[in-house]
Amino acid sequence: MISEEARKTASQCRHYAMCKIDFLGTGLCPPGREKHYVAYYPQGRMDLYHALSENLIPVTEGLVDIARTCTLCGICDRQCHFVTGMRPLKVMKALKDHVEAHVRAGKKIEIPEQDRTLEQLRKIVGDEWATNDPAILLTYANDPFPLAGMQMPRYVLLPGTADQVSAVVSLASELGLPYAVRGNGGSVFGFVFTDGIVMDMNRMRKIEIDRENWCAAVEPGVTSFDLQAEACKQGLRVNTAEPAATVCGNIVCTGTFSTWSNVYGTAADGFIDMEFVDRSGKLFHLNDKSAPNVFAFRDQVTPSPGICTKAVVKLHPVSADEEGLMVPFADFERAVAFARELSARRIGLAVAVLGSHYLATFMSPSEELAAKVKALLPEVLGIHHAVFVVGDRYARDAVRKMAETVIDDRLFRTLMLGLPRLAEGEWVDLIRAYEGKGPPYAILCRDAMYPILEAVLLPSPETIAASVDEDLREFYVQLYSRPEMTDMVWLNMFRIVSSRMARHRHMFAFLIYVPLDRVDVIRSINAMFKRVADAQGLDNDYGFITPMDFGKRGILEYDYYIDHTDPEERRKIERAMTEIEPFLDGLGRGTKGVKWLKYVFSQGCSRKEHFLYTSGDSP
Amino acid sequence: MRITGEQFAGVRRGKTGRFLLTGGTGFLGSHILAELLTRGYPVTALARPGGRHSARERVERLLDWFGLDGDARSRLEVIEGFIDRPGLGLDPGEYSALLGRADEIIHCASDTSFSERKKADVERANIRGMENVLGFAVDGRCFFFHYVSTAYAAGRRAGVCREELVEGKTFINLYEETKCRAEWMASERCAREGIRLSIYRPSIVYGDSETGRSTRFNAVYHPVKTLQFIKNLYEADIRHEGGKRAREMGVEIADDGSLHLPIRVEVAAGGGLNLVPINYFVEAFTVLMEECLEGGIFHIVNHRHKPIEDLIDYTKRLFRIEGLVSCPAAAFDGIPKNPLETLFDTYLEVYAPYMRDTRVFDDRKARSILSKKNVVCPEFDFEVFRRCMTYAMECGWGSKEK
Repeated sequence: MISEEARKTASQCRHYAMCKIDFLGTGLCPPGREKHYVAYYPQGRMDLYHALSENLIPVTEGLVDIARTCTLCGICDRQCHFVTGMRPLKVMKALKDHVEAHVRAGKKIEIPEQDRTLEQLRKIVGDEWATNDPAILLTYANDPFPLAGMQMPRYVLLPGTADQVSAVVSLASELGLPYAVRGNGGSVFGFVFTDGIVMDMNRMRKIEIDRENWCAAVEPGVTSFDLQAEACKQGLRVNTAEPAATVCGNIVCTGTFSTWSNVYGTAADGFIDMEFVDRSGKLFHLNDKSAPNVFAFRDQVTPSPGICTKAVVKLHPVSADEEGLMVPFADFERAVAFARELSARRIGLAVAVLGSHYLATFMSPSEELAAKVKALLPEVLGIHHAVFVVGDRYARDAVRKMAETVIDDRLFRTLMLGLPRLAEGEWVDLIRAYEGKGPPYAILCRDAMYPILEAVLLPSPETIAASVDEDLREFYVQLYSRPEMTDMVWLNMFRIVSSRMARHRHMFAFLIYVPLDRVDVIRSINAMFKRVADAQGLDNDYGFITPMDFGKRGILEYDYYIDHTDPEERRKIERAMTEIEPFLDGLGRGTKGVKWLKYVFSQGCSRKEHFLYTSGDSP
Repeated sequence: MRITGEQFAGVRRGKTGRFLLTGGTGFLGSHILAELLTRGYPVTALARPGGRHSARERVERLLDWFGLDGDARSRLEVIEGFIDRPGLGLDPGEYSALLGRADEIIHCASDTSFSERKKADVERANIRGMENVLGFAVDGRCFFFHYVSTAYAAGRRAGVCREELVEGKTFINLYEETKCRAEWMASERCAREGIRLSIYRPSIVYGDSETGRSTRFNAVYHPVKTLQFIKNLYEADIRHEGGKRAREMGVEIADDGSLHLPIRVEVAAGGGLNLVPINYFVEAFTVLMEECLEGGIFHIVNHRHKPIEDLIDYTKRLFRIEGLVSCPAAAFDGIPKNPLETLFDTYLEVYAPYMRDTRVFDDRKARSILSKKNVVCPEFDFEVFRRCMTYAMECGWGSKEK
């Protein structure tokens, strides 16, 4: 018996793999930590329950084990709620109930037949780490990417060493089997499906920090979150992607970019060396004289140089006095110009121009509150954009001198912990009625106003926790009692709130490198995305821009939001793409510095200079 | 003139001419609309939709608030339009048809914001809006244009402001400036086209002095609302949060239950607010409109300013607040403003010039007509203040319907 409520929740899993990292200090899903296959994590169980509801898979031996190993500990509820607002525990329970009912009724439990290839694969990686059980295969067959259909692999395996990867590639080559690699069992772009072998690198999670050489050697299962945590222990920092993204996978795919790319760069800037297994199964390092030249860039969709089995990434120093700052703006052009100037003057480390949608979503622990704050920021406070900066005290002093108004670390904590009270009540009416010369946000940011703001907002873990489900409030009170949860530097290093962007719907992100001094071009891109999405009735919003290379270039994100379970939404995206692609291709041909990330895909090891500085007449 | 005095008098007597009213969902406009309909005049209200409501629904909801009966409503026509758009945002057929129905125009629509950051909105409503409405008057059969302006179109000046067009050069804010410019536009265009023109210049209008009722709670309400907010904030802190934040601000509850709020309000000698209640404004407007068939410029003002000291005293009495004091600018030398004063001043910065206003509005022309009809501006005493503020609080300063 399928529960409709559980089925709906299960179908909404965004595959962000946040349940595969311990980003809240709750611990990890116990069977996932032990078994490593996606199917044993909440993400996989969500897919399995949805698949059962659609009769896509039988009850198998593997499925019974997956269901029975779930302890209903509730970690998934806390983790997933923080990111998506969803409560997957009911799905976990429904899956267990469904499987147990099936077993009790004496119905058939499928046991997949072993074949010769599976035997060979198991010989390489070990019996436990290769399977053809449909319940496990299914969790590697799909993701919310709307433009790719489901593709069931024949085998899933979890290699433990580079040599095993090499042996698997050789075997696959010998047997003529296609293969795909998944860094963390999740992908949102749909490039990791195959009807052959899927290699999940989740077991390869070694991190070796070389303090003297300012680098860390990481295996392909290491996530950005885990690496950042290790770097932090050494008082260092790494430029990382989304927390659940694997470091190696991220470098190979697009190159790592984040707000820190303002100073740390992207693509080949981020690593010292990398180890690959090529298509013949041979191991090579980029620093080998005979290695293929992956530092060069070709302006077309290009296959990756192989399977990355290790990356030696750069670590960066951290000053003890770093803090975050936010400079609010009513005007996009002024915000971009300000960010560019910071970058050009080398003031600050992480820099980005955020839109009100991002700000509201990052700060709010519930979708309902995020919607209120999203309206409040521009309509009441006049904050349409904010330039986010992390800097040491010298940088912050400079920013204060350059900016008319600043939201400093103390004020940010106050706003965040008092957010539910900021977003409603008489206070909002009062600000709305403000008729003064400056923007309303300037009142909030005055030092003299701080005591009153505190009295209004009553900032505390309890205040912010009041915005979530009652049974989760105690957990949120404990969570927000931790200083890092309101620390702009920590939040921006570990990026745990960035996945909230997909809280209300699955996010379909467009990333484009842009000439940062051409605000007209950036505006035209934003306007195009908005026009196309509005015409299709797709929810859409500006995301962010981060300056790069002394403010000469920047990376722009614009996001579409879709219900990935709705076929009509998929068709809308397809129709939208017929306008977006020619526009971006044409703009890229005619405007120097415009490069759609699509063309950087699989060339993340290349020198950024090769794609940031374009001829303007590329194909 | 497009119509002789005799013909015009006949139209007015028979109430056969139709008024086109802009701003019918605004504070002054809605009161004029209700009054004209009650007096038996046919009116076409040009209104915008807003929020979830159509133009018609917005106007109807206001008429419900006024308690207008079906007979009065039968004389109303509502057309959805936008004064800031060419052709009033109407399709050409609708525009042409309306040209033939508007015998007199009462142009009330206005953006009353004082804020420089809303410059584009204010100019669009007050200047472009006037251009479009005048264009409509010229295109059609309109023979009388009534413009609801403001006494503060007089601009920044000291002493007497007369009931005549102002050669103003400096203004306190963009609102004053655009209203002055719009007066000149109306005057020149109407003179050229043979359209009679009346300009009505109210000072600061508050709610009904007899009932306290109002649909807007800005201007004189705003500082009172701010003080009530501060009072509630710190009372809640003392009662529910231990009072630490109140103590830091020097706020405390005395034994008699009054709240000590240490706020100094800067006042100028001889300054104060010129306040008229909405019931007086409507009565004065109607009398002047009905009596002055050749038009003119009329101040609808109070003959004396209300000293800020009185308003502070009223507020203290109503809210049981102590510590609120008026003082000259010199009092702040050496004793910097505390956070409460900073908040209060920040919120009142656009009203500050009016609180220190020493402009005197000569209303002899209007008064000579109004006095014959026994229309006299009521005093804004404590009872009126209490009535108006109590009503405002009951409807959450406009956030709740009443």
